[in-house]
Amino acid sequence: MPVIEVHNLKKYYKVHQKEPGLAGSIKSLFSRKYYDAKAVDGVSFEIDAGELVGFIGPNGAGKTTTLKVLSGLLYPTAGHVSVLGYTPWDRKPAFQKQFSLVMGQKNQLWWDLPAMESFILNKEIYEVPKEQFQKTLDELVELLEVRDFLKVQVRKLSLGQRMKMELIAALIHSPKILFLDEPTIGLDVVMQKKMRDFIKEYNHRSNSTIILTSHYMDDVKELCERVIIIDKGKLLFDGALSEIIKKFANHKVLTVVFSEPVDEEKLKNIGQIKEFDYPKAIISVRRSATSLAAAELLQRFPVADLNIEEPQIEDIIREVFTGKDLA
Amino acid sequence: MRKYLTVFAVDWQNQFIYRLNFFLWRFRNVLRVLMTYFLWTSIFAYRTTVFGYTREQIMAYLLLVIFLYGFVGSCPSNDNVGGEVSSGALNNFLVKPIGYLRYWFTRDLSSKLLNTVFAVGEISLLWFIFRPALVFSSQPLIIFLGILMLASAVVIFYLLGKLAISIVFWAPENTWGLMFMVLVFTEILTGLIFPLDILPSHIFTALQFTPFPYLLYFPLVTFIGRLSPQLSFQYLLQSLIWLGILYSLLRKVWSAGLKNYSAYGG
Repeated sequence: MPVIEVHNLKKYYKVHQKEPGLAGSIKSLFSRKYYDAKAVDGVSFEIDAGELVGFIGPNGAGKTTTLKVLSGLLYPTAGHVSVLGYTPWDRKPAFQKQFSLVMGQKNQLWWDLPAMESFILNKEIYEVPKEQFQKTLDELVELLEVRDFLKVQVRKLSLGQRMKMELIAALIHSPKILFLDEPTIGLDVVMQKKMRDFIKEYNHRSNSTIILTSHYMDDVKELCERVIIIDKGKLLFDGALSEIIKKFANHKVLTVVFSEPVDEEKLKNIGQIKEFDYPKAIISVRRSATSLAAAELLQRFPVADLNIEEPQIEDIIREVFTGKDLA
Repeated sequence: MRKYLTVFAVDWQNQFIYRLNFFLWRFRNVLRVLMTYFLWTSIFAYRTTVFGYTREQIMAYLLLVIFLYGFVGSCPSNDNVGGEVSSGALNNFLVKPIGYLRYWFTRDLSSKLLNTVFAVGEISLLWFIFRPALVFSSQPLIIFLGILMLASAVVIFYLLGKLAISIVFWAPENTWGLMFMVLVFTEILTGLIFPLDILPSHIFTALQFTPFPYLLYFPLVTFIGRLSPQLSFQYLLQSLIWLGILYSLLRKVWSAGLKNYSAYGG
């Protein structure tokens, strides 16, 4: 039984176009040109309880817009959306008590007060019973190692500490569904890793459903078994991370180390040279021609070492977005 | 209800962080009174009554008006809501089971309480300096009507401000345009600077068909006993009618605004 159902979701914005310069500004006072920006254009998917799904796509792909529709912030232009059986933009309190939205670039904590005050306020807003509040808070504080900072003014916390506090504030009512929009943005590598560990652990412990958007492939690779790729408002892919390779990678990568110098021109007959820096070369070849290319390399060139690998997921996704053929 | 009490408590703590800001704001209020005081002193230099008011009556009026203005006019929502809408911080509230307009009304009440505490102090000080003869109505009914008018004034001012700010839903860069107009009208047409009945009577009558005199002037003249109970009651009703009109207008505009709201930022 899916907890999130999205069918043919569309969200168009009217965007006002201004010509550059002062003359353009004056002109726009009198007549404005509008065009429809198709932020989300016919996206459908379903998500089951307990899933941890990664939403990926370049900037402006429609990820955040989709999350905003799912959390009831935006009214869609068309399509059917149901989250936990509710229509999100009705903004029913019974629905709102069961999910949380964390945006890496927006904060909900009271800037001038210790984070604890915001937690207490959220406890009342979500009507969390006292014992449950204490228990959840203790767990989260332990897991995120922030006990020492609970009484420090939020403005005096580091970005990483603040992000952890934001998470606690968002989780204090034990939401069944969690929307995380760029939760690791701006954090250093160590803190990113800690956040990831936390999200994973939280998903296991609470069996909550999590949708995560991120620019960092590491986030998605480490956390999500399932990914949904959107670009320009359209759904490009929905499935297991490993399936991306099968579906989009029509090539493999050969990494060769030569024992003697070779002629680069001759090497071009094998496949597309991605990198050549003697003694190492990286060659991309069609998937079906892999064994033939490897055999040829071994026969005709002085090969010290040869590796056949799947391409990196980052590379595949980048190429999917830029629309380039790989091999 | 409890959630709003907590909002009140948290806001109360938050206000103490901005001590300097707060003192400067109060200082500005005292300066305003002094300015009006000196203006009126020079007007009274060569005569004993002006527009039917004696010097003492005017002074009493002015002292009371800052007290009431501290209560009705302290409205931090007017400075913050527009920015929160245009920056997208409104999102934080729309996803939670809390009413955004109620949330800000609660924060305004918290600010009003703090301001009133200080206004009492300032007024006592000014009273010691100028010793005006303060006259209050001694009729409990009148006082009761006055309190109701004051409560209505608080809500009317809140609704007016939020209505002016609603423009931001359609023009996110215009957080201040209409709000500024409302504040200018508030300064002139509510009785903040002079008692409104010194205006020509047709203008004074026309003003009754705007919400402004119900913010300060009518509650004030009720408290000092210049109105008969019948008249007080009539103005209270008119005030409540304005409250009703503005409330239903704001509901409509706000929900249309939210439909148009594109949850800016990202």
